[in-house]
Amino acid sequence: MDPTEVEFLAEKEIVKIIPNFSLDKIYLIGGDLGPFNPGLPVQVPVWLALNLKQRQKCRILPPQWMDVDKLEEVREMERKEDSFTPPPSPYYMELTKLLLNHASDNIPKADEIRTLVKDIWDTRIAKLRLSADSFISQQEAHAKLDNLTLMEINTTRSFLLGSLNCMFKLRSNMQPGTSTGKGPDY
Amino acid sequence: MPCERKPMRYGHSEGHTDVTFDDAGKFIVTCGSDGDVRIWESLDDDDPRSINVGEKAYSLALKRKLVTAGSNNTVQIHTFPEGDPDGILTRFTTHATHVAFNHSGSRVAAGSSDFMVKVVEVADSSQQKTLRGHDAPVLSVTFDPKDELLYPGCSRPCNLTVVVHLQTKVTSWPVLQKSNDVSTAKSLCRLGWQPKTAKLLAVPVGLKVHLYERDSWEHVSTLSDDMMTQPINVVAWSPCGQLLAAGSVGGFLTVWNAESKLCVERQKHEKGYTVCGLAWHPSGRQLAYTDTQGSLGLLDDLPTASSATKTPKAPAVKAANDYDDLFDEDDDRAMDEGLSDTHSPAKRPVAGGDDDDDDDLMPATGRVKNRSSFLDDENSLDTVSLALGQGKYGDDDDAGSTVAPPTGPSLPLRPAYEGPLPTLPQKPFQPGSTPAHLTHRFMTWNSVGVVRGYNDDQDNAVDVEFHDTAVHHAMHLTNALGHTLADLSQEAVLLACPATDELASKLQCLHFSSWDANKEWIVDLPAGEDVRALVLGQGWAAAATSARTLRLFTVGGVQKEIFSLPGHVVSMAAHGEQLLVVYHRGTGFDGDQALGVQLLQLGRRKRQVIHGEPLPLSCKAHLAWLGFTAEGTPCYVDSEGVVRMLNRSLGNTWTPVCNTRETCKGKSDHFWVVAVHENPQQLRCIPCKGSRYPPTLPRPAVAILPFKLPLCQTTTEKGQMEEQYWRSTLLQNHYSFLSSSGYEIDDEGQNQNQKEQQELLMKMFALSCKLEREFRCMELAELMTQSVVTLAVRYASRSRRMNLAQRLNELAMEKANQLQEEQEQEEEEVYGQRESAGGHSSSRSHQAREEEPREEEEDESQETETLEADGESRKRKSPSQSRVSNVLDSMTSVRRPAPLGGPSGKQSKGPVLKPLAPKPKTKMQSTLLQMATSKAANKKAQVNPEPAADRLKQPEVPPPDLPVEDSENQKPRTGFQLWLEENRKSILADSPDLQETDVIKAAMGSFRSLSAEDRLSWTERAKGQSGEAADLKKRKRVEEAGEGDESRVKADENIAKKKKSLDTTAKLSAFAFNKN
Repeated sequence: MDPTEVEFLAEKEIVKIIPNFSLDKIYLIGGDLGPFNPGLPVQVPVWLALNLKQRQKCRILPPQWMDVDKLEEVREMERKEDSFTPPPSPYYMELTKLLLNHASDNIPKADEIRTLVKDIWDTRIAKLRLSADSFISQQEAHAKLDNLTLMEINTTRSFLLGSLNCMFKLRSNMQPGTSTGKGPDY
Repeated sequence: MPCERKPMRYGHSEGHTDVTFDDAGKFIVTCGSDGDVRIWESLDDDDPRSINVGEKAYSLALKRKLVTAGSNNTVQIHTFPEGDPDGILTRFTTHATHVAFNHSGSRVAAGSSDFMVKVVEVADSSQQKTLRGHDAPVLSVTFDPKDELLYPGCSRPCNLTVVVHLQTKVTSWPVLQKSNDVSTAKSLCRLGWQPKTAKLLAVPVGLKVHLYERDSWEHVSTLSDDMMTQPINVVAWSPCGQLLAAGSVGGFLTVWNAESKLCVERQKHEKGYTVCGLAWHPSGRQLAYTDTQGSLGLLDDLPTASSATKTPKAPAVKAANDYDDLFDEDDDRAMDEGLSDTHSPAKRPVAGGDDDDDDDLMPATGRVKNRSSFLDDENSLDTVSLALGQGKYGDDDDAGSTVAPPTGPSLPLRPAYEGPLPTLPQKPFQPGSTPAHLTHRFMTWNSVGVVRGYNDDQDNAVDVEFHDTAVHHAMHLTNALGHTLADLSQEAVLLACPATDELASKLQCLHFSSWDANKEWIVDLPAGEDVRALVLGQGWAAAATSARTLRLFTVGGVQKEIFSLPGHVVSMAAHGEQLLVVYHRGTGFDGDQALGVQLLQLGRRKRQVIHGEPLPLSCKAHLAWLGFTAEGTPCYVDSEGVVRMLNRSLGNTWTPVCNTRETCKGKSDHFWVVAVHENPQQLRCIPCKGSRYPPTLPRPAVAILPFKLPLCQTTTEKGQMEEQYWRSTLLQNHYSFLSSSGYEIDDEGQNQNQKEQQELLMKMFALSCKLEREFRCMELAELMTQSVVTLAVRYASRSRRMNLAQRLNELAMEKANQLQEEQEQEEEEVYGQRESAGGHSSSRSHQAREEEPREEEEDESQETETLEADGESRKRKSPSQSRVSNVLDSMTSVRRPAPLGGPSGKQSKGPVLKPLAPKPKTKMQSTLLQMATSKAANKKAQVNPEPAADRLKQPEVPPPDLPVEDSENQKPRTGFQLWLEENRKSILADSPDLQETDVIKAAMGSFRSLSAEDRLSWTERAKGQSGEAADLKKRKRVEEAGEGDESRVKADENIAKKKKSLDTTAKLSAFAFNKN
């Protein structure tokens, strides 16, 4: 899976915008949106919010969790705990990137938020690597990781699976008598 | 002559300090919380001598020897100026708070937090006397020059106690605020005896200094200063005994002349720290003070008593110089007596019988006196006379009133008033603005957009931003004029600034929707007039000014009407042509505002809708927002968060529709309302955490609150439904208002609304039914429309409530009739109006045919009267109707019932269009028939299609012959009709190209020209015919036996109705039984 695909999925998330135009309800396959009243917050998917924002038709209200205090709390929590803590949002990385890239003027303390989210991300990825490492070194058959976001799984998947494959091949070659190492690809 | 305030300098580390001068005035001696006593040669002394006396030093006294109250619960003696320790004078269980020498320096009194006061002989520390019996930490102690001891405690009852001769508690005043520790006491309450004369005792009490007279212990006067805003901590008498210096918590230093009560000097601590030590230089020219931050300060070149005092009696004080020795003797004797007298001195004062009386009585009287000096005229007069008797305080009438309001003679000038206190009238404001003192503020936030004002160092600007960018792009203006008020509409931005010294108050309008190149105008207001509130309507602007006038302008800048307001404006709001003004109607009392409201209609038809009635506000609230709903209903919010809306259907009363405070999470959270919408029901507001208004950054987001009428028991289902019903009814009022003022309305929305209401009623009905509340059911049914009542009938009969069903049935009948009548009236009115217009045009056509129009009209009305006389227009009662009625009128009103009667029988086959027919009879019939059908079918009553019929009629004027025949079949006819039939051909022959209506008019004219007898005969004939026609009709004669034949007299109608209703009831109940 491509990160862009994950991002695409994240665009389905709902955010609040304040439109500066007036439009009746629009009826879409995914559900009805609107009505849009100028100055009145309305909930729309991220893709629409970004589209409108790019056309300067709205102001995006940052999601609840996109707040310096809350993110700091999450970061501290994340650093303290050994296991993964629940992420602020299942698409926190994607949303931060999308919103901050396109609507940083609507988000107070955008830079701090970017840093904080990056910190959280780094912490979590480090944990992920660590757990992958111990998984391999202890030659476990399976492991369970909670509270991972799709993006995180996605970043580690290709590499982890590839290396597991590789290792499997190497191991099967080491053992005499077994076949030529045509283990099933994961 | 102002004194010189020397800059403060560091004396000790932070904390409590004390200061004094040595006897010769050579040194300033301070102590502080660092435990050091410092001896300064002057303020500029960079190397003061330090004596360490402990961890902390709380207080010091100096008279040949240095006595300090230290932190280790001891009172120590040091030699001075050498600073060698000279032993411990006494100990307490907690630290001593204050030490004081007597005048001669032979004794030291020390007060402590353990409620005790000790008096110790300096020479022999074993000679000490403990005073107990006090129930609070002792704040301070002082000896008077005659060696009486005085100490204030600081808890309940907050007393100031005087002990004479160290044994008798003479008096106590409950003047101090209570506290449980010295550190928590509001004031240190350092007392001061007037030196030399020892006549007066100065006691800091709150913001004032009370002066008590010696011996009588009467409160003789009060020194105060308007600048004193915080409690006075310390007082100190100048060595001459005429000036009294006081230092307060807020860092104020004031020097009064005790006689004239004039403030002779006033200084502020440079940093505003609390002054906790104060000492006069023996020369009386310098005043040293210390603060709680450990700094030392000095006031130099103070006016001496003689220079400051202009009262002639000043020198008299100086006379008493030789008291000291005398008193010293006295002191010793008292001391001896005290020592020999008692072993447990604390108990002593309470023990003796006489003393007992004193104890009990004195505090009481003291209390009264104390209060009396403020409030009670009689008592204060007493005090004054006492003072006069002394001949010292009588002459301060004029002098004293300037700075220190004396308690004495000036009191009668200020009569005590204990009634309700007037409230400060609230300031004018723009709805949706934040306070003007903010550097970044909202000048207005409304449904169109936001105007922000920036007024900081770099920038003085106004930002205008529109919610809908389609209106206009955002604007950034430099605010050179200093605008403080703004309003915004779809057409323009209106700004106003208050007048300055040079410039008049200005009104600036940016008319961005103008189609010419000039998009801006400015108007100067007359001198002395300030804009207080402004508002933009549709095509006009209004500004209320400080001169209580309201000026109207067009949006292009033309001055229009000007009128006066009954009071100072508070706020204004506009919507379309409506202007809402709220002003001060009078003075409010006890926190309430007295506001009045005017609602004006400024369209073509100018009128005042609300004539300055009082604006209801919550208790002790002020107006917080004023505006209109998007639909044009006046609405406002008070500071308690209650939103009220005008209820036009209840005589313009104000109904609370929401309390925003109920939805607040925190106590100090508020909702800042920006707009109100009735459809959908929305209260748009900005949630403000911990404040009343939002900051400009980060940009606040609008939240939506629902309406909720404060009905009772909204937790129950019944209450909920009632609330919903009344809310829906209230918020539906705008439909009728909009349609009456000529706006387009959303019919669909209205119908939807009504449908919901009826559904709610039905639900409530069912609920009451379930609860066996049949009476309540009836009450609910009264609110229903006729069609829903029929539903209710069905429900009732189905649930076997026959009594209810029957009553409901009657109600349904009534409603149907009412509806019918109303509609008729309405129609007649409407058509009457239309026809009167039409009548004119027709009369014009008559004119063309050289007929006198006036006569014509008169004739017409006569004609109608005759028609009425024929008994055919029974229903028309109002003379106006008969006046306006003419041919067309009768045509249309006949046409109306036709479709109604349609489904009921064969007589009327659809909307038959015929020029002339006697309407009343048909109407009558159709009414009844229609009722019957609607009942029987249990259908929605009639949505009257007569407008449609009307429209139908206009384009296609039917061929004359057919309808006439038709009408012959069904309707009784008038004499005129018969005549017309016979003479139509001749008329047509006369003028072949006439339209049908014209034919009738012409016919009418010639019919009128017939003689009265002829006409009568025609009428007779018609009557005969109609009788026959009626007979022919296939109607349910059985049921309407009495009705059909009899001449239609009013009374009969009712009977008929009743019969009819009974009949339906019977039918319905039968239906019900079938169902069950």
